[in-house]
Amino acid sequence: MAEKYRFISPLGIEDEVDTLPLAPRLDKLDGKTIHISVTGEPDLTIFLERQLRAAYPQVNWTSKKSYTPTPVRLTEEEMKTTDAVILAVSW
Amino acid sequence: MGQLPYLCDLEAAGIPTMLVDYADQDLMVKSNALKFGVPGLRFVSASRTLPGPEDAARLIQPVMDGLTRPLTDKEKESGTYRPNNQRIIFEGTMEDAEAFFAQTQIVKHPMMNCPIALYTDGLPVVLPTEERVEKMLKGTSHKPDEILTLQKDGRQGKKGSEVVFLPKLRIASVERIAANAVMAGCKPEHLPVVLAIAESGVGVGTTVFFSQWACVSGPIVKELGMNAGVGTIGPGSPVNSPIGRTYQLMAINIGGAVPGINRMNSVGSPFNVGGVCFAEYAEGLPPGWKGLNEEYGYRKDESVVLAGQATGGIFGAQFSPGGYRSLQRSGHGGMARRADVKGTPGPHNWLDYLIPSLWSGREGGFVFVMVPEMAKHLYDLGFKTKDDVYNYLYEKSKVPLSEYRNRSWPDESTNGWLGIEGTSGKHWKELPDDYMVPMMSTPSQNCIVVTGSEEEVCLQIGGGRYIPSPHELDRWGATAYSIDAWR
Repeated sequence: MAEKYRFISPLGIEDEVDTLPLAPRLDKLDGKTIHISVTGEPDLTIFLERQLRAAYPQVNWTSKKSYTPTPVRLTEEEMKTTDAVILAVSW
Repeated sequence: MGQLPYLCDLEAAGIPTMLVDYADQDLMVKSNALKFGVPGLRFVSASRTLPGPEDAARLIQPVMDGLTRPLTDKEKESGTYRPNNQRIIFEGTMEDAEAFFAQTQIVKHPMMNCPIALYTDGLPVVLPTEERVEKMLKGTSHKPDEILTLQKDGRQGKKGSEVVFLPKLRIASVERIAANAVMAGCKPEHLPVVLAIAESGVGVGTTVFFSQWACVSGPIVKELGMNAGVGTIGPGSPVNSPIGRTYQLMAINIGGAVPGINRMNSVGSPFNVGGVCFAEYAEGLPPGWKGLNEEYGYRKDESVVLAGQATGGIFGAQFSPGGYRSLQRSGHGGMARRADVKGTPGPHNWLDYLIPSLWSGREGGFVFVMVPEMAKHLYDLGFKTKDDVYNYLYEKSKVPLSEYRNRSWPDESTNGWLGIEGTSGKHWKELPDDYMVPMMSTPSQNCIVVTGSEEEVCLQIGGGRYIPSPHELDRWGATAYSIDAWR
């Protein structure tokens, strides 16, 4: 019978992650403040923002832009008055 | 890059989000969303090729649907992701273990239809039995269960901080690093170099042309019998090759990098196939030129490894060695004509031959790998230190702002031209068209490695040297880590 061995794991060690549910969705759009977080080059986002604003005029749109992949975060105060966030585009 | 952590923070704060990614990045989004605690994160996939207005028209309905469609029962669930951190990954015969370590997975990526190795770089490995790993651990005084921490303040944080391995934000014990060294074919005496490379976090980047490499400087080069001569960046050395291979195995196993999921280099890089570790030839440095160890504040008798993550191109052999010799020895040939030194023996400045093409498409520092003879010619021309060369390259790299505006990466590095230009302290939009802009943040983003042999060849590795407080897009350059700290 062939000899048996134990093999050391070469894998990195990961922490356990507590996973959360999604935040409740919006029950309506009228009067809601939706923030558009733009990251990266404007191959899509200029048109996406323009068309969202045109198609949903009942929404109060806000936006912040970064030309890098790191988004400009909402401040604590802004988060209190923001109902939803769209981020585009993730690399 | 901060997008997924941000969205997961917003979801945790009760703000619903929708992400627009590109279709080929779906698996990366799912992987990172789990890592940051919101596995159900909603996203839609944009096209890379449709005209922007057409793609936007296609996306606005699903984006708004994602913000308003009630949650499913699964999306309302909370729980715990429990990764398998067992020390012993497999028990069985050698034959069974060969099959275990040769396992593959099918990555469900739209442009991949092939198996990808789970635990290896796709090549056979030395199986990491407990006995082999124990023997490997004799190469260091550090304890097997010690979690890798920074041995010095650095790019990842303060001395003593745990080393975090991207892309899965994992940590590692010395023993797990040793297991990878065994798999790559290293010997115990190689382990301190491997551990020093591991201290870098063995980043692989996500998109574009990320290429990883390591270069050893100091007395350990001779001690280990590294190849610092002909073909130092190449196959054949039983020291350079396994150490370089360990970088890639650590990226795969410790960091969790998988092509098509979270290692998205579209075409990959030849540097990453077998892994690259080469060595500085300290005896080839001209008088007054510091070795890499001294450049980083270590003594000449201390050993370091420079771990690099090249983000740009890798350029070599822009001129023929014979053409180079003609320039320097007789003042003949095309290089001499370009330099306008026809008929006059050298030394002549060969950097001037390269400079027009170096930054033609991409900004940033370079690692200039050059043979001793070419370094000596620069010394004889008056570059008495490496810093003299770095300053020269910095000055020569400058282009008028009118030209700089017509480049690709600066749209990002200037934050859409809304940021501050580094050398003037002024807003980009305030500067005149003829303002001369350097191609790198500081001269020291360039780095010289003297190595190799006698034939007149040089290699320029994009990405250069890491500098403190870089711009976001400059943060990938090479950094040195002490090998002696891991003995």
